[in-house]
Amino acid sequence: MFRNIGERSLKIYFYAFLVIIYLPLILLIIFSFNDSRRMGFPPQGFTLEWWQRFLSRPEAVTAIENSFLVASVTALIATTVGLMAALALVRHFFRGKRLATSAVVLPLSLPPIVIAVGAVVLLLAVLDVELSRLTIILGHVLLALPYTTLILMARLIGFDRSLEEAACDLGANEFTTFRKITMPIIMPGVFVALIMAFIISLEDVPVAYFLGGYDTTIPVYIFGLLRWGIGLPVATAMSAFMTGIMLVAVIISVVWTRRAEKT
Amino acid sequence: MSIFKKIVNLVRKSEKLTVTLQLSPAMLWILLVLVIPLCIIVIYSFGKTIGIQLLPERGLHNFIYLFTGEGGLYRSLLLKSLGMALLITVCSIAIAYPVAYFISLRVERYKYTWLILLMGPYLVSWVIIIVGWRLILGYGGLLNYVLVQMGLLASPMGGTWGSWGTVVFILMMGWAPWLVFPIFVSLEKIDRSVLEAAADLGANPVKRFLRITLPLSSPGLLVATFFVLLPTFGEFVTPILAGGSGGAMYGMIIESAFMGWPRWPFGSAASVVLMIISLVVATALLRVIRLERLMEVL
Repeated sequence: MFRNIGERSLKIYFYAFLVIIYLPLILLIIFSFNDSRRMGFPPQGFTLEWWQRFLSRPEAVTAIENSFLVASVTALIATTVGLMAALALVRHFFRGKRLATSAVVLPLSLPPIVIAVGAVVLLLAVLDVELSRLTIILGHVLLALPYTTLILMARLIGFDRSLEEAACDLGANEFTTFRKITMPIIMPGVFVALIMAFIISLEDVPVAYFLGGYDTTIPVYIFGLLRWGIGLPVATAMSAFMTGIMLVAVIISVVWTRRAEKT
Repeated sequence: MSIFKKIVNLVRKSEKLTVTLQLSPAMLWILLVLVIPLCIIVIYSFGKTIGIQLLPERGLHNFIYLFTGEGGLYRSLLLKSLGMALLITVCSIAIAYPVAYFISLRVERYKYTWLILLMGPYLVSWVIIIVGWRLILGYGGLLNYVLVQMGLLASPMGGTWGSWGTVVFILMMGWAPWLVFPIFVSLEKIDRSVLEAAADLGANPVKRFLRITLPLSSPGLLVATFFVLLPTFGEFVTPILAGGSGGAMYGMIIESAFMGWPRWPFGSAASVVLMIISLVVATALLRVIRLERLMEVL
């Protein structure tokens, strides 16, 4: 009987956890349509005013553009660079391999604020570069690189190299082999690495905040609104916008995974 | 033969050259954007500046100020942040563990579907999670409303927002969904027949959990610690937005030294201290975890 109570409370805990982690995000979406300046309970009725205000602010729209541009470029660079490093680290033995591996994990071992501060000092004091979206990308690739490299290394370790050898024996050169054999097999890993890097860039505040200069991304813009207590309803609408995108992405991946697990 | 073909042939023949070409973009990126900048902030941390111009004087004055200045304010902030980071790590692992346990040992179908669903909230930015929690914990939020409706509170109050407890709670809830995953991976690897054998030999469920499941899942706990502890050390976004006056954290010192009135050498010294602590902790953790474990999680 005690066993049953334990089992049941475990189950209840699981569903309660699920509800609690989604509750703030659901409330956010509800309150972005709330017809009151005061973001308090109970909700006061329906309005589209906050969404209209958010979409009619040029700097908010620019922040959206910046976010998605930076995240896309970061994903492409971090995955390409990470794939090259992963190929070297998995397939070859060379001197300094341990050092190279530690270097790849180094950005994971430091709080993002330390990474950001270092880059700011280098860029402003030593190189005298204007901070912009480009410098955010510089930092974001660094943040994403350990993830993309490790994801692709894991994929390459489980790779049956005799397939490549067979292709070479049949007369394919390295490039054809890579394109026709290697790429299709590691494609799922590449896909995961791209998504991971995109998300890391999209949700980051510390690095984009320090390295952006006058260019802001969505989270940094929301951070500014909240910090100075101006335009809380607009911040809520922007957060709801980002949450909505996340929810769509989650629903799609849930449906996909479910289909894959069914078989 | 074209030059291009010559180069291709050269690369094909030499393994060393292949490795160099494949590794150099990643290594150069890390060197230029991370290692060299860190060396520069070490130099700055011993220096003095006018504006951002470094003067030739060198000394330990920034570190001395950091550890003794303002009546020990910065030092106590450092200790408090370390304590908070540890507390957040332990709490977030503790609340994520039963969830991972349930999926790994009780759910039979669609395990990964549940995992993806659980990870959803981790995909939005911290600032968005904070906005959401503010609607629950803030002045006039859901929690206040429910308490007032139940007659436990006379009028809404903001006491649940703007303290160090708020910061710990938000960071704990924010990290937990992601931590389910490393813990799940380590639980999945436990050989189920060991648990059955223990049951056959008469061990009760509590004993089975404490003697078998928990120790065998410790690699996952270490990976989880690695992911939470280090970023939380340097956290400044959550304390600024949700901490009020009592919830300040060490990262805010660095933030204000760079983004507020510029005091770069002092900010650099604060960063160097944070960097040294993080590197020591990370090295110790990585020595036990090993890279393969980190890879399995991603």
